[in-house]
Amino acid sequence: MKEKRHIIDTTLRDGEQGPGIALGVEQKIMIAKLLDELGVYEIEAGIPCLGKAEIESLERIIDTATTSKISVWSRMNKEDVKYSIACKPDIIHIGVPVSYVQIYNKFRKNKAWVQKMILECVEVALKHRTEVTVGFEDASRADVGFLVTLAMTLKKEGVNTIRLADTVGVLMVQKTREIVESIVSNVDIDIEIHAHNDLGMAVANSIEGAKAGAKYVDCTLFGLGERAGNCNMYDFIYATDSLYDYGIQKEEIRKIENAVKDMFYCVN
Amino acid sequence: MIKIIDTTLTTLDKYLLQKSDLYEFCKLLALIGVEYIELSKKMYDSMGKLPEGLSCKFLLHIDNVFDLPLYEKEGFYRFIYRHADGDVNIISEYQVNDIREIVQLKAHTNTSQVRIVGLDDMLCKDYVSEMNEIRKIFKRSEINFCPENTYKCATALAVQWILSGGKSITTSFCGSGNKASTEEVIMALRLAIRHKPNRDLSVLRELAALFEQVTGTAINSKKSIIGKDIFKIEAGIHADAVLKNPATYEAYDPSIVGGMTTLVLGKHSGRNAVRRKLLEHSIPIQDNFTIEKILKYVQGYSIQNSRSLTDEEFVRIARGVIMNERKKAHY
Repeated sequence: MKEKRHIIDTTLRDGEQGPGIALGVEQKIMIAKLLDELGVYEIEAGIPCLGKAEIESLERIIDTATTSKISVWSRMNKEDVKYSIACKPDIIHIGVPVSYVQIYNKFRKNKAWVQKMILECVEVALKHRTEVTVGFEDASRADVGFLVTLAMTLKKEGVNTIRLADTVGVLMVQKTREIVESIVSNVDIDIEIHAHNDLGMAVANSIEGAKAGAKYVDCTLFGLGERAGNCNMYDFIYATDSLYDYGIQKEEIRKIENAVKDMFYCVN
Repeated sequence: MIKIIDTTLTTLDKYLLQKSDLYEFCKLLALIGVEYIELSKKMYDSMGKLPEGLSCKFLLHIDNVFDLPLYEKEGFYRFIYRHADGDVNIISEYQVNDIREIVQLKAHTNTSQVRIVGLDDMLCKDYVSEMNEIRKIFKRSEINFCPENTYKCATALAVQWILSGGKSITTSFCGSGNKASTEEVIMALRLAIRHKPNRDLSVLRELAALFEQVTGTAINSKKSIIGKDIFKIEAGIHADAVLKNPATYEAYDPSIVGGMTTLVLGKHSGRNAVRRKLLEHSIPIQDNFTIEKILKYVQGYSIQNSRSLTDEEFVRIARGVIMNERKKAHY
């Protein structure tokens, strides 16, 4: 019997974030409905702080989903988290910068500040009894020791899933295994792998992440996403069909892609 | 020393390539750091003779051993031929479709130079052990690994072969012929182990244009390293950070591969992006109210057309909004 793994579709969040893509409310709802029917475990449906139209589409997706859990993405910012709470999703995902280039250059802060901020955000979200997952942004360029420490701290606070984001797409398969194994061997926490395709290795890194113990794999339709895109859902499931059970028929993914391709200027 | 054999010019036999295109293609491959170029007989026959003055060596892929005497004195570094056990001038090629077939390679251990082609599924298995097994079987041979890309893992496998001690791989430009992409492998090795870090890869754009021209196909705009849209940024959340410090969201400087970060406006843009775009087009920066108004129009136009805006569209919208606000101010 094949092991279970779960697909998290982020077409409507990371996929849509790519330049050249601009979905309207009805288009987002239609795509979410098709993904829900497909049986993906979780649909990362958008970013509430983007405004009214985004919130409207999120609320309607949350209301109508029957199979998939619906998650929303939030920056590490209490105001953003409050926007997310207001949408009443199944899961609130909060991104936390973990590499030194992000912490020290982008935010001009330090690790202690990061830890304090993410714990405050998690506390706000958990108070509303929503499941919270935390995304380690730029994990591929981070100090693995810091990732393990942060994962331990978050687990104590009630976070059960950590997303490892290869934000700039520089992971090699060996490194993917090293990061996933370092965390799962030290912390009793679920791992979600989120790979980008800048070096053409998104599918390979997702496979290696799953083999090393990641329970969840982030994918998008057509491999959409910023720059060279994310892990292509069809390609990933096609490659690993003999290893894992996702509860998804890969042929159905192609049908969905055919049904929605006209919404994406960049894939035509 | 790492040996990368580029095999693109064995994968384009169905296209009609001119001699000048072939020479140009070889020249550009040499410029990006390829030191070994493999040709098919058809491509070599179109060339007439090997290009001179390039820093790379040439290999010829032959399908019939009786062809060997015809090309032996043409200056090729090596010949590649299937199951050619023994001859020192020939790299003996073996197709291995999945890892269960690796054991069959034990019948060919007397080969001094070997190329293993295939193993698409290797990454789904215990590839570390399987790579070691291949090295054990051919412990006295020079091994070239040519992973195929059915499961979109060829680049990762080629890079892993090198990172785990392998010396030689076969790739092709843009992954032509279902191989690992030469440009991805070169960039990955540059980032991972600083392989040829000073090599100017900006001619990749020319190489991509030539590839599109001779094959009559368009390279996917999101293709890693060479896609025309991969350095465009729009999302408000990231755009500002990238423009202030590219290292936050870019793996390498786009200019290395002949690209540049370009800000495009659309549904996800923010006020700062509008300000930057106005500046780019020498339109005076407006007050916050007007900026907000331009942004709303930009977002609406983007959603309506399901895409980002061209610069011309942005300028038209911005000028329209600014003019309208001025008129209102006069009344």
